[in-house]
Amino acid sequence: MKPRDLVVETLSALDSNRGRSALTVLGIVIGISAVIAMTALIGGINRALVGELGLSQAQLVYINVWTKELTYEDVERYARDLKDFEYITGSSYGSGEVTTGEKKASGELRGVKPEYFKAMGTKFLQGRPFTDGEERSGSMVVILDEASVRTLFGSADTDAVGKTVRINNDTYTIVGVVENLNTYMGADSVNAILPFSTMATRVTGSQTVSEVTGFAYEGSDMEAVVQRTTSYLGELYNIPEEEREDNLYVFSMQSMIDSVNATMGSFSLLMTVVASISLLVGGIGIMNMMLTNVTERIREIGLRKALGARRIDITSQFILESVCLCLAGGLIGVVLGYLGAFALAGLASEAFMDGTTEVVPYVDAGTVLMATAICVGTGLVFGWYPARRAAKLDPVESLHYQ
Amino acid sequence: MAKVLDVQNVHRIYESAAGYTHALRGVSLTVDRGEFLCVMGPSGSGKSTLMNILGGLDRPTSGTYKLEGVDVSELSDDELAELRATRLGFVFQSFNLLPRATVMRNVQLPLVYCDVPMSERVERAVRALHAVGLPPEYYDHRSNELSGGQMQRVAIARALVNDPALILADEPTGNLDSATSEMVMQTFARLRSEGKTIVLITHDPEVCVWSDRTVHIRDGKLLTDAEERARHSSERGRT
Repeated sequence: MKPRDLVVETLSALDSNRGRSALTVLGIVIGISAVIAMTALIGGINRALVGELGLSQAQLVYINVWTKELTYEDVERYARDLKDFEYITGSSYGSGEVTTGEKKASGELRGVKPEYFKAMGTKFLQGRPFTDGEERSGSMVVILDEASVRTLFGSADTDAVGKTVRINNDTYTIVGVVENLNTYMGADSVNAILPFSTMATRVTGSQTVSEVTGFAYEGSDMEAVVQRTTSYLGELYNIPEEEREDNLYVFSMQSMIDSVNATMGSFSLLMTVVASISLLVGGIGIMNMMLTNVTERIREIGLRKALGARRIDITSQFILESVCLCLAGGLIGVVLGYLGAFALAGLASEAFMDGTTEVVPYVDAGTVLMATAICVGTGLVFGWYPARRAAKLDPVESLHYQ
Repeated sequence: MAKVLDVQNVHRIYESAAGYTHALRGVSLTVDRGEFLCVMGPSGSGKSTLMNILGGLDRPTSGTYKLEGVDVSELSDDELAELRATRLGFVFQSFNLLPRATVMRNVQLPLVYCDVPMSERVERAVRALHAVGLPPEYYDHRSNELSGGQMQRVAIARALVNDPALILADEPTGNLDSATSEMVMQTFARLRSEGKTIVLITHDPEVCVWSDRTVHIRDGKLLTDAEERARHSSERGRT
C-alpha cells in the first residue's frame, strides 16, 4: 500500500466520522491548550521581566554600606579600586514639591552624576543627559520621566525640553525626558532627576550618597562580582566576615532574575503533570473511540482483507487514524492555548508584574514541536492496540459479521 | 485447456468448543480457463467453506489447492493477501461496498492493495465499469444512492478491476429480485464470453442455467449433475 493511498483512506475514514472524531479529540485539545496557554504566559512573564529589567540590568549591582554615611569621594574610591565595573555611580534621594503654572505634585528627587544614565542604560525620549559642566557648576537643570511630564503638563507628547518647572521655589529648566522610572511614593508623585551637586546644595544640603550603583562589564560572572565587591568593602571598612551580611548591601539583579526563573521552573513542572494526566485521559478516549470504530467497521475490514489488504495495511490505517486525530487535537490545542494565553495575559500581568508591565504571551517553536511530537506519540501508543485488534480479525468471520 | 483451479481431496475441519465440524470431506475440483462454473448447494452444505478456501481467505485442513499452478495451501498470510489482491476478484451477496464512497472510489479500492500507479487507476476503473454496463453518469454517485442491481454491478466491476485469474461470486443474486438477478447474471455471462473464469456459488437452480457446468455440494462432498439427479430420484423413491 502506497503512503499516499494510506493517507487518502485514513482521511476519508475520519471524514465520515466527523462528529465523533471531534468529540473524541476534545480531551487532547484541552490538555494541549492548557499546556500551551501556561507555557505562553510563563514565556511572556519571563520576557516581560527581562524586558522590564532590561537585559543589561542583569549587570547592575546595588551597593550600600549601612555602617557609614557615604559621600561621592567614597564612590570615586570604589571606582578606582574595583575592576569589575564599567561604571560606578552614586545617587542621592530627596523629595520636594514640583509645580508648573497650573499643576502641583509631590516629587521624588534623585541627584545623579552624568555617568548614571550610562550605568542604568536610561533611554531618553526627548533631550539629553546632564553635561559634566552642569554637574560641576550645580546648574538649575532637571530631567523628568514620561509619566511626570504627563502629570505636570497634561500630555506626554508635550515638547517639554526648554520648559521650566519649580522645585521647592527654585526654577529649573527641563533638558531631557526619559522613559518611566520606578516610583516608590505612589502614582500621583513625579520623578525628577537633578545634577548631584545641585541636589546637594539646593535640596538635601548634604553631600551624602544614598545609593551606589555599579555596572559590571558584559559577560561578568555576577555572583563572583558580588563576592569580590563584598570582600573589598569588608576589608575597606574593617567589617569582620560574619557581620558583612548585616552591614553591607551588595545586590545583583541577576539573583532576582534567577529566583524568578526558579519559580517559573516549578510552575512548568506542575503544568507538565497536569498535561500528562490530561493527555492520558485524552489518549484513553481516543483508544475507546478507535475500539468502537474497529467494531463498527468489522465488515469493512473483512472486505479490505478480501481485496488483498495485508495485516500491516490494516494496522497502519488504524494507527494513522489515531495519530491524525491526536495531531489534529494537538494543533487545535496549540491555537486555542495561544489565544487563551492572550485572554489571560491581563491577569498574569496583575499577578506577576503588579500590572505595570504588559505580559505578551510567548511560545517558541520548540515548544510547539514538542507538543506536536507528544500528540503523535499519544496517537501511536493509544492507537496501537485497536489497530492490532483490527489487523488480527479473521477475514471470513468479519465479512459475515452482523 | 489450462487449469485455473486445481483442488485435490480438500478437507476442512473446524474445531470449536462444541467439538469438530467436518465442513468439507474430500473435495476435488478443477476449473479451466474461461469456464463459468456453478457450485450449487443448500445452506450448511459446505459451499461457503469451499468459497473461502478458493478465495484464499481460509486454508484447507488437508489436501491441495492450486491457483494457476501455485500451491495456495503453502502460502503465508501476507502471500495470501497478495494473491487476493492480484489474482482474485470477489463478489458478495451483500455487495460490501463502502457506503459513503463514490462508485469510482469503490471500484478503485482493490488497486490500492496491488500498487497500481495512480495514473492507471481511473482508466482501469472506467474499463471495469464499462464492462458491467453501468452508465458513466453514476460514476460519481455515492454507492448507497444506487439500486441493488446497480450496487451489484459496481461490486462486479470492483472484482474485475485488478484483472484477476478467477472471479468468485458468493450468492451474488441472493439479495436481488428476479428481474435484477437476470440483469446481473447477464453481466456474468458477458464476462464469461469475454474469457473470464468464474466460480459462482448459489442455492438457486435458476442461476445455474447461465453457467457452463454445475456441480452440487452436499454435506461437504461434491456430486456431478448425474449423481445429483440419481440422489434426487432415490429421495423421491423413498417418499
